[in-house]
Amino acid sequence: MIYIIVTIAVVLTLVSIILYNRLIQKKNAIDNAYFSMDVMLKKRYDLIPQLVETVKGYMHHEKDVLLQLTELRQRVLTGNLNTNEKVELDNRINSNLQNIVASFENYPQLKASDNFLHLQRSINETEEQLAASRRFYNTAVNDYHNAIEMFPSSIIASWMRLKHKTFFSIAGEHRHTPSINFNK
Amino acid sequence: MSAEKSFEEFCRDELAPQLLPFEQLRKRAATSGIIGSGLAALTFISFLIARANEAQGFFVVAFILLLPTIIFIVIYYNRKKEYVSGFKENIVHSIINFIDPNMRYNPHECIHRNDYEKSGLFLKTPDKYSGDDYVEGWRDKTVFCFSELHTQYKVSSGKSTSWHTIFKGLFFIGDFNKHFHGRTYVYSENNPQIGFFTKMFSSFAWDLEKVKLESTEFENKFVVYSNDQVEARYILTPSFMERLAKLQDLMGEGTSYSFVDTNIYVAVPIRDALFEPRIFSPNSYDCLGDYYNTVHIIFDIIDELNLNLRIWTKE
Repeated sequence: MIYIIVTIAVVLTLVSIILYNRLIQKKNAIDNAYFSMDVMLKKRYDLIPQLVETVKGYMHHEKDVLLQLTELRQRVLTGNLNTNEKVELDNRINSNLQNIVASFENYPQLKASDNFLHLQRSINETEEQLAASRRFYNTAVNDYHNAIEMFPSSIIASWMRLKHKTFFSIAGEHRHTPSINFNK
Repeated sequence: MSAEKSFEEFCRDELAPQLLPFEQLRKRAATSGIIGSGLAALTFISFLIARANEAQGFFVVAFILLLPTIIFIVIYYNRKKEYVSGFKENIVHSIINFIDPNMRYNPHECIHRNDYEKSGLFLKTPDKYSGDDYVEGWRDKTVFCFSELHTQYKVSSGKSTSWHTIFKGLFFIGDFNKHFHGRTYVYSENNPQIGFFTKMFSSFAWDLEKVKLESTEFENKFVVYSNDQVEARYILTPSFMERLAKLQDLMGEGTSYSFVDTNIYVAVPIRDALFEPRIFSPNSYDCLGDYYNTVHIIFDIIDELNLNLRIWTKE
C-alpha cells in the first residue's frame, strides 16, 4: 500500500514540476515577445526625427502634427512610463504617423525626393516588423491563457497566482500591403 | 513575350518550319528504337525456348540476334540523344526566347547543389544529384532561376543497394522582396519529412521552432518552422499567407517553400520531365504549349506571391 502511495506522490510531484516549468516557459515567452516588440518600437521612434526632417520643408499644413509627433517620441523615450502609459503614447504616435503617411499623397514633390522614398521604405518595413512582433506577442499571450485556463495546469497557475495578460490590438493592421506607388 | 503575337501564331509561323528537321530525327530515333526492342524481344524468346527445350538451334539464333540487338539499341540511344539535345537547344530555346528574350536557357545545366542544400528544404543529404533544363532571368524586379532536379539517397543492406528519391521536380529560387536574416520553412501538412515525432516535439533542427499562425486555413494546409518567430511572421503576413494558400492550390499539395538568405526557394514535385520531347509520337502544339505553360508556372509563383512589390528597403 505504501508503495502505491509513494508512487502516486512521485508521479504527482513530477507532473507538477513539468506543469510549473511549462507555465514559467510560457510566461517568459510573453516577456520575450514583449521585448522584441519593444525593439521594433524603438526602431520606429528612431525613424521619426528622420521623417520630420525630410518632410517639414514640404508639409506646411501638417506642422502641428509633426510637432506633436516629435513631442510624443521625446516623452516615450525619456519618461519613466508604465506599460499602460507606454501603450497609450504608442497608440497616439501610431495615429499621428498614419495621418502623416496619409497626407503624403498631397505632396507630389515629396515623391521626387530619393531621401523620402528611402524613408518611406524604411517606415513600411518597420511597420510590418512591428505588426509581426505584435502577432508573435498575441500568440504567446494566447498560449499562456490556454495554459492557465486548462486543466490540470490551471491548478498550478492559480497556486502561482498567474493573471491574464492584455492582447495587443492589431486592428486589421497590414492585413493588406500598403498601396504606395513608388513611381516618381 | 511579344504582346503582338500569340503563342499559337508563334508556333505556326516560326516553330513549325524549325520542327520539320527534328521530326525526321525523331522518326529515325523511333524506328531504331522499335527495331531494337523487336530484336531484343526475339532474342529473349529464342533464349527462353532454347533453355526450355534444350534446343541448340535456338541458342545459336539468340546469339546471332544479340549483336544486331545491341547495335540497334546503341543506335537508338545515340539518335535519341542527338534528337533530344537538338530539340532542346533549338525548339525549347526558341520558346523561352519568345516568352522573354532576357531569359537564359541551358538544357545541360541545373540548379547548383550548394543552392539546393542552402534551401534546407530536404533533411536527407543526396547521394545522387542530377538535373537539367536550367532557366534564369528576371520578371520585372525579381531575379529568378529554376531547373529540373532529381535527388536520391542510397540504402545499402549487405550486398544490395537501393536508391530512393528525395525530390524529383521543379526547383525554383527567387529573390525575395524583403530583407531577413533567419530561416523559415513552410511545408505542406502531409509532407513525409514532417512525421509524427517531428510534429509532437515541434523541432527538427536544434534551432528551429514551430510557428503557430493565426489563419486556420493556412494552418490546415501548412506546417511552419523558423529560427526567428518574429521574422517568420514578418515574411508570412496575413495577405502573404492567403497568397501562399492560393498558390498551393495551383501547384499541388506537395510543394514546399523556404525563406533563407533573402531568397525564396520553392520545390514543386513533378513526375514528368520538364522540357523532354516525345520520341514515339509527334510533338504536337499541345506539347509545345506544355513547355510554354511550365515557364508560366514560374511566373505564377512570382505574381501570386507578389514578389515584384518592392515597397520595403530591399529594392
